Amino acid sequence: MKKHAITLTVNGEERDLLVSSNRTLLDALRDDLGYTDTKYGCGTGECGACTILVDGMTTINGCLTLAATMNGKSITTAAGLARNGHLHPVQEAFIENDAIQCGFCTPGMVLKTISLLDENPAPTEAEIRHGLEGNICRCTGYTKIVEAVQDASRRISGSNTSAMGE
Amino acid sequence: MSSRVMRDFELLLPESIEETIALLARHKDKSAVLAGGTDLLVALKFDYAIDNVISLALVPGLDELDFDSAKGLTIGAKVTIAEVLRSQDVKDHYPALWQAAKVFATPQLRNTATVLGNILRASPAGDCSAALYATGGSLLLKNANGCRNVDLDDFWISYGVTARRADELAVSLHVPAPEKGQKSAFRRMTRTTEDLSKINAAVCLQMTGETCRKARVVMGCVGPTLLRLPKVEKILEGAAVTPDLLRDISNVVISEIAPIDDQRSSAEYRNKVAGVLVKRVIEAALNAKGDDQ
Ligand SMILES: Cc1cc2nc3c(=O)[nH]c(=O)nc-3n(C[C@H](O)[C@H](O)[C@H](O)COP(=O)(O)OP(=O)(O)OC[C@H]3O[C@@H](n4cnc5c(N)ncnc54)[C@H](O)[C@@H]3O)c2cc1C
Ligand code: FES
Ligand code: FES
Repeated sequence: MKKHAITLTVNGEERDLLVSSNRTLLDALRDDLGYTDTKYGCGTGECGACTILVDGMTTINGCLTLAATMNGKSITTAAGLARNGHLHPVQEAFIENDAIQCGFCTPGMVLKTISLLDENPAPTEAEIRHGLEGNICRCTGYTKIVEAVQDASRRISGSNTSAMGE
Repeated sequence: MSSRVMRDFELLLPESIEETIALLARHKDKSAVLAGGTDLLVALKFDYAIDNVISLALVPGLDELDFDSAKGLTIGAKVTIAEVLRSQDVKDHYPALWQAAKVFATPQLRNTATVLGNILRASPAGDCSAALYATGGSLLLKNANGCRNVDLDDFWISYGVTARRADELAVSLHVPAPEKGQKSAFRRMTRTTEDLSKINAAVCLQMTGETCRKARVVMGCVGPTLLRLPKVEKILEGAAVTPDLLRDISNVVISEIAPIDDQRSSAEYRNKVAGVLVKRVIEAALNAKGDDQ
């Protein structure tokens, strides 16, 4: 089958690659480009481990996206969030609130939180839970995660940084 | 095949509606249109095979989400559930559709899944489809020979089967302008919020005061396609909607549905809750508090 030549900007870096028609964006990121922070959980849109940001703040599931349809897009994975050696405030909030156990869901949770706070800088607990419905954590039981999102919301509004940490 | 690796196929990336239609004319039932891919790509990871996948990703002119109080609502083939949810016009004038979008899947999926994809999938569990079946609408289908409009009332034929011909592209859906006194609502029951509905219902009522002039009542997951409930509609039409009437309706629902046991629920359970759900969705439409679910 025909291969498709595409260019993706991943975490600010332009990357050219050749993908087959049936290659998911998730596998292109992980296996072709080495962004293994993007996780494969269910492969069917349910767990959110493969969440990435596209062209700004839009979260999508990499497991249900064909890489060849994404030519020219700009993608942010969790590995691209740190600035000048400092973690993103959402990442710091997850660490300091013990919202991580095995860490498998964390890249997706962090990215989803960033997009949630961009849309709604001071969400209620119900809004946080609704916003994170596409991200499953099998370890923490969510209470800590909700607390981390609330803390991240305070950190971002207190420091006048944008949701992207800039 | 697995949840990780998809079956192979040829991916075609047309750059105009005309080019898309030409590809459909060439490949017909050897092709599938890819919109958001949240149904098609899952299917391609498991039990489905197709030679050609025709992506709409680069096709312009399918993004319209436009409301006009005289003409109604137009939803283009690439309009996502998230865009519907952001539309104040949809929220104000088509509450059933807005409420279905609100509880639809997950934020990530809402960003890619399309309203038209939901209709084309022809699942009896389609949430936006149920809401739109209640408000009514017609699909604009286009092939190399021209265009035709197919009313949603005539579109779903059986499970996964529609009136769309293999060479047709669904370009947009048109929903009529709401009449004066129009009320609508959508409700569903799920195990977890991101799961598909185990049962859902939508209504659209034309009201004059307490009296219902016209009713469309839809229920999902209780037959091979979404079903309208004509007996319930008949009871509502011309009647004042009182608690007694709602109780009568609730008892009639079961005679109009034919649920089965499947992985999400049982026939017995669906039969038990269907009447209550229809009563609640009617109450929700009449007591319209907007975004409550
Ligand atoms: C985890 C998960 C949760 C879900 N939750 C829900 C839910 O809560 N409620 C619900 O109703 N559904 C749900 N779905 C199902 C799915 O997301 C919806 O049916 C969605 O609306 C499909 O739209 P799409 O754009 O992704 O369609 P696609 O997968 O791109 O297409 C679906 C079908 O329609 C055809 N098609 C699409 N567009 C056109 C067109 N313009 N012309 C001709 N044919 C076309 C395709 O060929 C395919 O057969 C869920 C799916 C997943 C994976
Ligand atoms: S791996 Fe994509 S949602 Fe689970
Ligand atoms: S920390 Fe283990 S899955 Fe969330």
